[in-house]
Amino acid sequence: MSWITLDKINRLKEKFDFVQVNENDKGFHSVEVPKENFKQFLKFLKEDPDYQFKMFIDWTIIDHGEKADPRFQGILILFSPEYRERIIVKTWATDETLPTLTDMWAGAKWAEREAWDMFGIRFEGHENLVRMFMWETYQHHPLRKDFPIRGYEEVELPSLNEEERADQLEGLQNYSRMHTALPTMEDIEITQRKRLPKKKAQIVLNWGPLHPGTHGTIWFLFDMEGEYVQQCDIIIGQLHRGVEKLAENLNVQQIIPYTDRMDYIASINENHSVCVAAEKLLGIHEKIPEKAKYIRTMMAELSRINSHLLWLGTYALDLGALTMFLYTFREREKLMDIFEGITGARFTINYFRVGGVYADLPYGSLDAIEHFLKDFPERLKDYETLLTRNRIWLRRNIDVGIITEEDVYSYGLTGAVARASGVPYDLRMIDKYDAYGDVEFDVPVGEKGDSYDRYLVRVEEIKQSVKIVQQCIQKLRKMSKNDPFFFEPEDKKMKITIDGRGTKLFKGEVYAGTDNPRGELGVYIYMPKDGIKPYRFRLRSGAFYNLQIFPKLMIGRPIADAITILSTIDPVVGETDR
Amino acid sequence: MGIKKVGLNRTVQPQTLKEKVLFLDFMKGLRTTIKHLFRKVITVDFPFELIEPAPRFRGVHGLRNVDGTEKDDFEAWVKKLKIKPPEPGETRCIGCKFCQAACPVPEIFVIKTEKLDVPEDHPYHGLKVLSQFDMDLSKCMFCGLCTLACPTICIIHTDIYDLSTYTRNGWVLNKETLSKIADDFIARRGKEKYDDKSNWPDWQKIWDDRDTARAKAWDNNPPRLGPNYADQH
Ligand code: SF4
Ligand code: SF4
Repeated sequence: MSWITLDKINRLKEKFDFVQVNENDKGFHSVEVPKENFKQFLKFLKEDPDYQFKMFIDWTIIDHGEKADPRFQGILILFSPEYRERIIVKTWATDETLPTLTDMWAGAKWAEREAWDMFGIRFEGHENLVRMFMWETYQHHPLRKDFPIRGYEEVELPSLNEEERADQLEGLQNYSRMHTALPTMEDIEITQRKRLPKKKAQIVLNWGPLHPGTHGTIWFLFDMEGEYVQQCDIIIGQLHRGVEKLAENLNVQQIIPYTDRMDYIASINENHSVCVAAEKLLGIHEKIPEKAKYIRTMMAELSRINSHLLWLGTYALDLGALTMFLYTFREREKLMDIFEGITGARFTINYFRVGGVYADLPYGSLDAIEHFLKDFPERLKDYETLLTRNRIWLRRNIDVGIITEEDVYSYGLTGAVARASGVPYDLRMIDKYDAYGDVEFDVPVGEKGDSYDRYLVRVEEIKQSVKIVQQCIQKLRKMSKNDPFFFEPEDKKMKITIDGRGTKLFKGEVYAGTDNPRGELGVYIYMPKDGIKPYRFRLRSGAFYNLQIFPKLMIGRPIADAITILSTIDPVVGETDR
Repeated sequence: MGIKKVGLNRTVQPQTLKEKVLFLDFMKGLRTTIKHLFRKVITVDFPFELIEPAPRFRGVHGLRNVDGTEKDDFEAWVKKLKIKPPEPGETRCIGCKFCQAACPVPEIFVIKTEKLDVPEDHPYHGLKVLSQFDMDLSKCMFCGLCTLACPTICIIHTDIYDLSTYTRNGWVLNKETLSKIADDFIARRGKEKYDDKSNWPDWQKIWDDRDTARAKAWDNNPPRLGPNYADQH
């Protein structure tokens, strides 16, 4: 497991007398430092040759409840690319403030804005601490424990049926006219102004929130001098549904269908993250039946192919190659058929469970997958003939949006975006969850980190996924139909059910995740005591942190590059907004 | 396991002068598109042609009635919850509310049972029947947790996917409608999905391989379905 060893963590304690070590029986040890020494300690962790925790992963808050004093705790997760280890550093946010980390990791910028938005923690020294998802005039901080799960129902909003057709809806099941607050036009204007406090040039171009090129509801602001972008900012949150808040009120199997709605293009992978994290918290991840492991690996890779096909089609479409879109969607259709047959849904899949999968493969699944794989490499070759060495494609991609290795660490970029910059950061290799330790595959890495490299890396990833799926099929063919696909605990204290009722989590904390098509989706679960509902359920979204580098890449570029850069970063709004 | 380096000059050669001058990159692309031009149509002519959803498809819910394929412990459950033993054709639901407990959005369900109004010496005295079972499908996310929780395999997913209505009210289905939906589904496709004890059998297919509409998406060359595992037939 990619976690710092107890030995190394204890050496930190010897060096700094203020460090407090929290041992964890599952191996997820963490350290706690006082707020005053926080920055000094982090500097050491980042720079010391024995530690080198250079890479930013996540920075969030736990609310310990109104009665606790101090109430809020900051949780920082870092990764050391040198030693392939992670660490959690905690500190108490006394007076509801914390020092900003933006001067050490650029990725902290959005993380801190999110923490301010959701918890109301101020970060001293942050350059523009505005809200992340909600509009600027919103009064509450929704992830605080005293915020009710249904929100404050403050405004009256009758249904259009009732207004226009005089239908009497009151009294119907679940119908209420009262709703939570909505932003007005003024609120939105204030929000927009605050995001770009100092205009540099003449024109501010609004791109989105509803524009086909943004692939979802993202709202871009470009401050432009002629055709060139001087300053850029992004307003997201139009799709914010508070998945973390919802998750804190559900049992862990019930959370899985909600994650389907995050990255709806690769929902299998989103499900996978929650399963892996919860299994690691329970300490059963290694004991999951072999069959379930291979089914999950196979499905996750099929989902990666599916997701990358959609990405390739829409990306080429955005750059003007309409044919590609039709071709990739044709192959995708077959994959969707396979998903429908195996899992019961084409899009919002909910097939994986903590402990395995909910049902065995139906008759003929492996044949269908093999049939798909048979002519898929040929199709992939067609795509490459159309694009890879096409002169328009080369011109529009090469040297556009170069991401350096430093950027990867500083912004916490993951997935294909990180790998295209030459950083072989792949959780499938590092963590070897499920059956990834037993299958052969290569991690593609790029050279320059431009859009063209990101394209090549993703296409290569599709090929590697095909390889993994084939190995899984071979393995599954040898198994018996009576092999279990769901974990049965021997331990009396543990209860895991397929339908979720009574599934319990143990005391402790965990950070684990999976490598999704759009970067690492990490799940941080904190449980102060055994229970059904997770006390803090943090989703570290790869798409969210990857999108953060977009404004930086756009500065000085012509507006036409926005499409290329956005497409190759490939965020999905369901996951950035959660 | 390893690292594979990709990039221009690594795995992809830059364009040569000949390619540039003769527009060979475009020619190759055109050859591909022309090749695809002569392939058969793969799209389905909806709504005149319909793909039959897979047996596992999670569509609109139904409530199954007693039809002799109950599980062995059905009677025990009925007794335990003090429900009037159902006749064939009556609902299997025993009002245990397990479905509601498993559902991430419990407000979807309104489940009520009521005591039978019979004299004291009647054998059904003190027993209950299901009096209300409403589901508001506008709030449902078709995750399937309720169907997995049901001990009597009463609540099921059917293959119906077109559930749009003009009013919110149209999404609230009561127990009679749900029963009808289930009866219709079981009559049409029950044999594909359940065995004679209402369990999912291992011969449950990924989809019906005789479906010609689905075959179109597979270039009219659909996979031939066979067993997955070594000891399956
Ligand atoms: S399918 Fe899911 S959301 Fe819908 S009623 Fe069943 S458990 Fe609830
Ligand atoms: S779980 Fe099944 S038997 Fe129990 S109330 Fe729901 S539908 Fe009825």
